[in-house]
Amino acid sequence: MVPILKHGKFLIASIVSALTDQDLIQLRDELANKIGQVRAHGVIIDVTAVDVLDSFATRTLRDIARTVKLRGAKIVLVGIQPDVAFAMVQLGLSLDEVDTALDLEEGFSHLRRGEERSRHAG
Amino acid sequence: MREMGLTAQNIERRRNFVGLDSDDSKRIVRIQELVEGHLEELTSVFFAFLGGIDEARPLLGNRDIIEKVRLLKKEHLSEMVRGEYGTDYIEQRVRLAVVYSNAGLASRVFLGAYHHMLRALGVLVMKHSEHDPMAGFESYMSLKKVAFLDIGIIVDVIVFERERVIRQQQEAIRELSTPVLQIRERLLLLPIIGVIDTQRARLITDSLLRSIRANRARVVVVDVTGVATIDSKVANHLLQTVTAARLMGATAIVTGISSEVAQSLVGLGIDLVKFNTVGDLQGGIEEAERLIGYRVIQTTDNGAAEHMKEA
Amino acid sequence: MPAETRVAIDRETDIVTARQKGRELAAACGFASTDQTLIALAISELARNIVVYAQRGEIIVKSEFGERRGIEIVARDQGPGILNVALALQDGYSTAKSLGLGLPGARRVMDEFEIDSAPGRGTTVTVRKWVR
Repeated sequence: MVPILKHGKFLIASIVSALTDQDLIQLRDELANKIGQVRAHGVIIDVTAVDVLDSFATRTLRDIARTVKLRGAKIVLVGIQPDVAFAMVQLGLSLDEVDTALDLEEGFSHLRRGEERSRHAG
Repeated sequence: MREMGLTAQNIERRRNFVGLDSDDSKRIVRIQELVEGHLEELTSVFFAFLGGIDEARPLLGNRDIIEKVRLLKKEHLSEMVRGEYGTDYIEQRVRLAVVYSNAGLASRVFLGAYHHMLRALGVLVMKHSEHDPMAGFESYMSLKKVAFLDIGIIVDVIVFERERVIRQQQEAIRELSTPVLQIRERLLLLPIIGVIDTQRARLITDSLLRSIRANRARVVVVDVTGVATIDSKVANHLLQTVTAARLMGATAIVTGISSEVAQSLVGLGIDLVKFNTVGDLQGGIEEAERLIGYRVIQTTDNGAAEHMKEA
Repeated sequence: MPAETRVAIDRETDIVTARQKGRELAAACGFASTDQTLIALAISELARNIVVYAQRGEIIVKSEFGERRGIEIVARDQGPGILNVALALQDGYSTAKSLGLGLPGARRVMDEFEIDSAPGRGTTVTVRKWVR
């Protein structure tokens, strides 16, 4: 179970336990629904507590990002730990399509910067 | 012991190498009493040899060590003729060898001393086997197997200890050669100098990732001006480093790829699209500052600059 | 002391159990945290292959203190087997719409890799990593 919290215009999903495939799939479906319900502008997925991101998790996170973008929101993945990042690149995994940030705080400022930019542009 | 892989299994293999078996133990036990009666004398042969040569001075010059080693050597001789060559025996050999190694005793010097002692032992055994020279010879030959088992251990320990020192030094050099510098808040500089192999690339990536977290870095400038050669393998290592930094939320800017390197990389068909490259280090740092939101303003005519962070 | 753990794999939650056990053993064996994560990742990939292709099987994790200190992981199943082993070891090759990095990736992050597989006979993958 991954709880999804609402904070202003943003949704935050903190993955707290060892990640099972079912958790990820459930997260993808719930996020897709909730973005519409609360008219969220951005989503932060926090993986600080995750000890391994394997190829399945990577692919599912990429799918989640695509889904969120299609629902019209921005997404940023935060909290990948040094060991996890290191292991991912050794295996050949990358997350080119997904924005990343160091932690929740950086994730928020990343989304806010994005908001400002689009306001100026609009 | 464990570091060196001296398990019960390995010790048995070593015994097989020299052909030492239970029959040998029986033959050796026959001369046990004789050798036990001459421990002092035989030990003296060993140290008399060492006393005559310069190379042994580090060992013999220290009174505390010499007392300890004499004692260990006597113990060794007495254990050598007991007929038991298992883990305990090998453990004692390793202990003695570590003392030799720490005292800087070279293996060739040790071998000389050991040879002289064995010769004295042989003479002793043969002198007391006049009634049955064949039996005495057999006991001595069996003992020689134990001697070679010992030599194998001692030489391995001396080599292992020396390699350990080299490994520690390499480790120290490696750490020195991959500094991650914080040049402003949120901005790290990673100057890479020298040769990048797989092992070093891993260390560089590992230390960069930890620095990114420790300094909450948002941008990293990776300067490769000092990298000797960049081939497809090195480029791949760099790409991994850059990708890993990005996974942690930091943008990496690669600087210092010379025109020759750029041309050869293109020639090799290596795609650098994933690299965020800027020509030189200065340009890279300026680009990094822009990304973080710093503006550099010149305040006086002599070129001193002040950094301001945009609100 | 050498130790061994077996984890039966027949649901995807078993993948998490297998990699947690593997990480524990790797830590006890003296691996640095970076390498513990690599080992957990390799187990994750191998266990997932079992779930996806063979439905059930087992993961055996052994710590070795022979000539060198290290860890051995055996992933075994009685599934359909792999038709073309060489192809399965290529990056990006997958018959199950995954990233196709499982086997080649596990091979890359470990020091030794062996595979025994044939159609109808199941698959056994053995990987090892040594403490540096």
